Amino acid sequence: MKKKLLIFFFSFFLSITGLYAQKTVKGKITDSDGGTALPGVSVTIKGTATGTTTNSDGEYSIEISKSKSTLLFTFIGYGTKEIPVGNESILNVVLSNDEKQLSEVVVTALGIKREQKSIGYATQQVKGDNLTLTKEQNVIGSLAGKIAGAQVTGSSGASLGGTQKIQLRGVNSINGGGQPLMVIDGTPIAQSNFGGDANGVDYGNISQDINPEDIESVNVLKGPAASALYGLRGQYGVILITTRKGTKGPKKVDVSLNSAYSIEKIGNFMPLQNIYGVGNNQTFLTLANGQKYINGNDESWGPKMDGTPVRMYYSFYPQDAQYGQLTPFVPQPNNIKDYFQTGQNVNNGLSVTGGNENSSFRLSYNNAYIKGTMPNTWLKRNNLGVSSSLNLTSKLSVGLNATYANNHGQRPTQGYQGSFTGAVQWFQRNLDVNRLRDYKYADGTILNWNVNPTSAGLITNNKPSDWNNPFFDAYEVLNNDNRERVFGDVNVSYQLLPELKLSGFVRTDFFTQSIAHKEAFGGRLNEGYAVAKYQNKENNYEFLGQYSKKWSDISVNINAGANLLTQNYSQLVQATAGGLSSPANYTIAASVDRPFSTSFSRQKEVRSVYAMGSFGYKDTYFIDASVRNDVSSTLPSGNNSYWYPSLSGSFVFSELIKWKPLSFGKLRAGYAVAGSDLAPYQTSFTYALGAVYPASTGTINTLTVPDNLKNPNIKPSFANSFEIGTDLKFLNSRLGLEFTYYNQQNKDQIINLSVSGASGFDQTVVNAGLIENKGIEVSLTGRPVQTKLFSWDATLNFARNKSMIKELYPGINVYQLDVNTYSSVSIYLNSTVNKGFGSLVGQAYQRDPATGMILLGTDNMPLFETNHDFGSVLPEFTGGFLNNFKIWKFDLGVMIDFQKGGQFFSWSKMLAVKSGQAEETAVLNDKGANVRDAIADGGGYKITGISQATGREITAYVDARTYFRNNIGTRIYEEWLFDASYIKLREVSLGYKLDSRLLNKTPFKSAKLSLITRNPLMIWQKAPKGLNPSELSSGSASISWIEKGGLQTVRSFGVNVNLTF
Amino acid sequence: MKKLSPSIYLFLIGSVLLCSCTKFNDSINTDPNNPTKASGTQLIANAELSLPGIGSSPYGVHYPQYLSNTSFTDNSRYTTINFNFYSLYTGPLMNLENAINSELSANEGPVPNQIAVAKILKAYFYWHMTDRWGPLPYTTALKGKDNFTPAYDNQQSIYNSLFTLLDEANATIVTTNGTVKNDIVYGGDINKWKKLGNTIHLLMALRLSKVDAAKGAAEFNKAVTNGIMTANSDNLSYPHLLEQNNENYWYNQFTRLGRNWFALSKPLVDYMLPLNDPRLAIYGNKNTAGNYVGLEYGKAVPNSNDINNVSLLGSSLRQQNSAVALVTYAQALFAVAEAAKLGWVTGGDATAKINYDLAIQNSISQWTGSTTGAATFLAQVGVQYNAANAIQQIAYQRWVHLFLHGYEGWAEWRRTGYPILVAAAGANGDKIPRREGYPTQERANNTTNYNAAVAAFPYSGADDLNARVWWDKP
Repeated sequence: MKKKLLIFFFSFFLSITGLYAQKTVKGKITDSDGGTALPGVSVTIKGTATGTTTNSDGEYSIEISKSKSTLLFTFIGYGTKEIPVGNESILNVVLSNDEKQLSEVVVTALGIKREQKSIGYATQQVKGDNLTLTKEQNVIGSLAGKIAGAQVTGSSGASLGGTQKIQLRGVNSINGGGQPLMVIDGTPIAQSNFGGDANGVDYGNISQDINPEDIESVNVLKGPAASALYGLRGQYGVILITTRKGTKGPKKVDVSLNSAYSIEKIGNFMPLQNIYGVGNNQTFLTLANGQKYINGNDESWGPKMDGTPVRMYYSFYPQDAQYGQLTPFVPQPNNIKDYFQTGQNVNNGLSVTGGNENSSFRLSYNNAYIKGTMPNTWLKRNNLGVSSSLNLTSKLSVGLNATYANNHGQRPTQGYQGSFTGAVQWFQRNLDVNRLRDYKYADGTILNWNVNPTSAGLITNNKPSDWNNPFFDAYEVLNNDNRERVFGDVNVSYQLLPELKLSGFVRTDFFTQSIAHKEAFGGRLNEGYAVAKYQNKENNYEFLGQYSKKWSDISVNINAGANLLTQNYSQLVQATAGGLSSPANYTIAASVDRPFSTSFSRQKEVRSVYAMGSFGYKDTYFIDASVRNDVSSTLPSGNNSYWYPSLSGSFVFSELIKWKPLSFGKLRAGYAVAGSDLAPYQTSFTYALGAVYPASTGTINTLTVPDNLKNPNIKPSFANSFEIGTDLKFLNSRLGLEFTYYNQQNKDQIINLSVSGASGFDQTVVNAGLIENKGIEVSLTGRPVQTKLFSWDATLNFARNKSMIKELYPGINVYQLDVNTYSSVSIYLNSTVNKGFGSLVGQAYQRDPATGMILLGTDNMPLFETNHDFGSVLPEFTGGFLNNFKIWKFDLGVMIDFQKGGQFFSWSKMLAVKSGQAEETAVLNDKGANVRDAIADGGGYKITGISQATGREITAYVDARTYFRNNIGTRIYEEWLFDASYIKLREVSLGYKLDSRLLNKTPFKSAKLSLITRNPLMIWQKAPKGLNPSELSSGSASISWIEKGGLQTVRSFGVNVNLTF
Repeated sequence: MKKLSPSIYLFLIGSVLLCSCTKFNDSINTDPNNPTKASGTQLIANAELSLPGIGSSPYGVHYPQYLSNTSFTDNSRYTTINFNFYSLYTGPLMNLENAINSELSANEGPVPNQIAVAKILKAYFYWHMTDRWGPLPYTTALKGKDNFTPAYDNQQSIYNSLFTLLDEANATIVTTNGTVKNDIVYGGDINKWKKLGNTIHLLMALRLSKVDAAKGAAEFNKAVTNGIMTANSDNLSYPHLLEQNNENYWYNQFTRLGRNWFALSKPLVDYMLPLNDPRLAIYGNKNTAGNYVGLEYGKAVPNSNDINNVSLLGSSLRQQNSAVALVTYAQALFAVAEAAKLGWVTGGDATAKINYDLAIQNSISQWTGSTTGAATFLAQVGVQYNAANAIQQIAYQRWVHLFLHGYEGWAEWRRTGYPILVAAAGANGDKIPRREGYPTQERANNTTNYNAAVAAFPYSGADDLNARVWWDKP
């Protein structure tokens, strides 16, 4: 297959074009803006098919037969020029790009550059400068709010490059996945994520390997109409990234140096009470000798922190300076905040861009170092990028794009029992975290707060029950990861005819991800070591033929290609069991018991052919059609070939209606089918290896039937998408509006359907369901103010999406996406037929149907009902507001993003209440007594509701701990669901460009200084303080609906210097 | 040449690429990571790994009030209503079902024996399950894609099916050269398996005493005739290893996780202590003051100081390799004693007494490793067989014997009403559970059948802890 492709490819090079001519016309074509040479301009003789293109110097030479010929000069993005040849033999032409704004060039599927006006579907482009406004390191994170219809779910900066998720036009996949394909300079790159769920380490999605400084622009193909040419990878849209490159032309070298430094500060702490300390009740514990003492309990329902002398945990360690001493029992209001440190972020980049007549070149290097806000966490990152292109002859050129990325980190653990992330969940309000800082005594004994002394005051078991000393976690429980990655392509292209270009590409993306975990002796878990190595390689062999031709009124653009994709993945995961044979000997060989060890490999191949044609008439009417065929090895053999067509059209009505204020107007509509297939080995049954029982008489190996049933009849899933929209520009393009309505029907999703376990399987791979997404996207651009000293450019993006599950599977109306269980109470994320995607289902208050008031039991505690549907977790609308101000020599960038609706479950908030730490568990009631005071003394939580027994409304005072801890904090999840609406100031950058006169005597061509800040302010949020609805992403879970001890919000403030030589 | 249309090239390329391109090398979509062929005994061994979970349950152990909680009392206050049975179906039962229905190799022991062992274990798991939940998918369960929404069978028909299954196993076992490979619990000894199957049959038969004595008696006698356990060495006792991956649950809780959360309950110690029961020193440790003290069952507010003041679960039962007793000779003897008293088997009180005494001796021997003290213990008033009070006596001693096997002790409590226990105050409406709720997922995954099963509860009631299973006739 590969061979065949090559033979045909080379056969093109062997073709020879005939020569016949009478007169030669030569010339050079330059850009009206700056006079730079324009290579690749099409020069044709009007009314014929004869033509050529300019070389890298912008020069052309064409033979004409009649002196009355007229030459047509066309170049994408520029106005067309018609010049009669007359007697001239040299025709130098200046092409004007004045119309650039009207006919912007955008990168479309397969990297084909098109004039925006000819496109019948929605795409949106963000320029690189707007992405690197404040040096956000993850390209997905930097897209937040900048694309209408893209929902970006971020994570806290404390994870040092944690997961940032993006979804286009709502959730189009029943299991909530469906991330768009990322394509960089035509090379599809892996978007894997090696993090777990909300518990564990968030290693982030690996699109962060793209150096943001290398990005020229990002183009988002939002729906199948735009992405159908990606076939079974195009269902969820495509993010096309074009990198910066050198230009061919007069010899020129630019060196640019970029240096940013910022500090990172922790913010957004949950308000906690500072009145009551550790304990289950308000009576002090006493030792046999009568001393009051504090044990390792982790809830704060205890006595008042009134300064009573008590034995604290450290007083039970004979090694401690305060051994045996009593210290006052007092609140520690900052005991969570004090754990954190100020982080640092240093980012240095260098790029060299250059070119001459025959070659272009760009080399970039970027180095980032982040010192985390959590002690002993850091990230180091290196990116090296090369792109070059060389003309071997005037028709044949070769090129290379390559990026090497290295990520090396030591990261915190998040979630329940993570790196102090559980501190608002279970902790003592009386613990001074600074006292825990020296976590190890000279003799190696670990200082633990979560251990219980005997009544004699001895610590007989120094193993913490549930919580390590957080500094032990920070310095002795380590998560290290390293990734080496290379992606890029080598390419060759041949301009066979002026209108026909043939290109071949070999693309690759490969990485090795290593993850290691060390658990030192002395914590709550066994001493141990785990190591994992994941390797992935994807190669794409691609051929593309591009034909474009223009006859006076008619333009034709045909592209056809073929692609062979191969993927090879393997992993090796090992962990010690039963401890290490010698302390701190972190190697698998030191495992006391048989270590856990698995290896896994998989491969996949997809063969594709595709073609698209675009036809234009009078620059006014355009029609596009495309078709792709994909044959995937993961589908059942014999039934593995599928077609993905698309059709779209646009009508530039402003060409017909000459209405002055309207500078441009276009109507567009498109229909397409795209798909997605599945991972390998999902079509045939296998057993799985079970646990091993090493009996003394001989090892017994076991075998098990997997819980997920494979399906030999699986098909790819299909998305049928229709969209219609308009692009309008007014007042010389000072004001622009793009509007799109879409309706996408996603059918036959390949999902692991949850089924009754009594069938012998929990899940089965099926083609199921029909999920419909309808929505609108609006992008409003404008320059409200434009004066010499002040201008303001603004883009407002807005998108609203409505999803609906229309069908699931015969006989099944609910699909369980996720579940969280704590204290035997579960909350589910379900998709239910005829409802929106992703409803939360769990325990709610029982309410009186007439009044809506809560029902109370005989003990005056609220009653609850199970299986209450709380509605969808998805937002109603999302958007962003990007502003660029120019004020004298300053430029100010302000990025705001927002979301309305959606909801999430906060496990942290629930436990903060349950554990008696949250502020509301120790407030005054309407009688002026603390709710925790005895009811007889006027205390108690005031509750109002309707007695289930009598049907009458009652108001009563109930015991605070019973109410908060055992009732609402345990089983009424309605209390812990929060609206995820927010408006956030995400990025601000204030730059000052030094006057070039000042730089005359320096080696610098330009110099710019900026103050930058990321995440400085949550302008408004509906959820209570301490929770961050914009940072719910944690780990690789596809839908973010639970906050479970997420990392603390990080705000960063810094300065950026940019110099060019 | 000049006008050579490029589309011809494209067409040619396209057609070459299209033909012969839907065929991949066979190996490409063949999973290299997992086996495709069954090994009967390895599937059975995997099912055996789930056995200790039946006995070592942090829920079951509370219903008959063997243990109380020191720190977190939620489990002893029955806060969990719904229990998931999916893992029992998708785990051991599905593995056994595959072993029963696959083509097995005689290299791993006689194929009929492999199948018989699988059937005995299948009966054992289902018995355990139906006693917890009542009606369950059986006839149409474990059918994979042929039925993702299996209907629930009532408990009576499940019992009948299991009796048949055990009969089949008993009938097909080959005892000559009968050893099977990869057997964790009996080292492949097929005679022990045969006795186990019949002992399960016997205990199941006794379960029908309240609801269908005639059927119970018939099945009971069939089991006796087929041959039940004859010594403690026949016990089904799951051997744990000195290894993290195969360690005892209570070791994991106490030692690995450092959770001193489980103490002997007050009712148990208050019954055993006055009788100087030799098993008490095994069941629990002395408190820091050197006494055996039971912890009040199901406290609403735990007290951190309790840990020092009460008897925690005995150290020898929470070693890393402590075995978990599941089906025992002594329990079979108690059953025969009760059956004799009920007149199901001949011999009346005389047979009842012989078996009662033997049961206690073997229980003491099983727990303490010797019969030392058994005679003295048996001679005491209150322990000594008393014909007038025999059913209650047998039940109390059986309760003591079944220690730590919460679900079995609970089933016998529900059947006999002994020992007399008081529910944790304020928990579950002051009622001790009589059943466990179905997994909440069933409401969504198997709605129609779930609703039908709940509607058909034999003594009505909701899908909660308080409805009664069929044999638990009010």
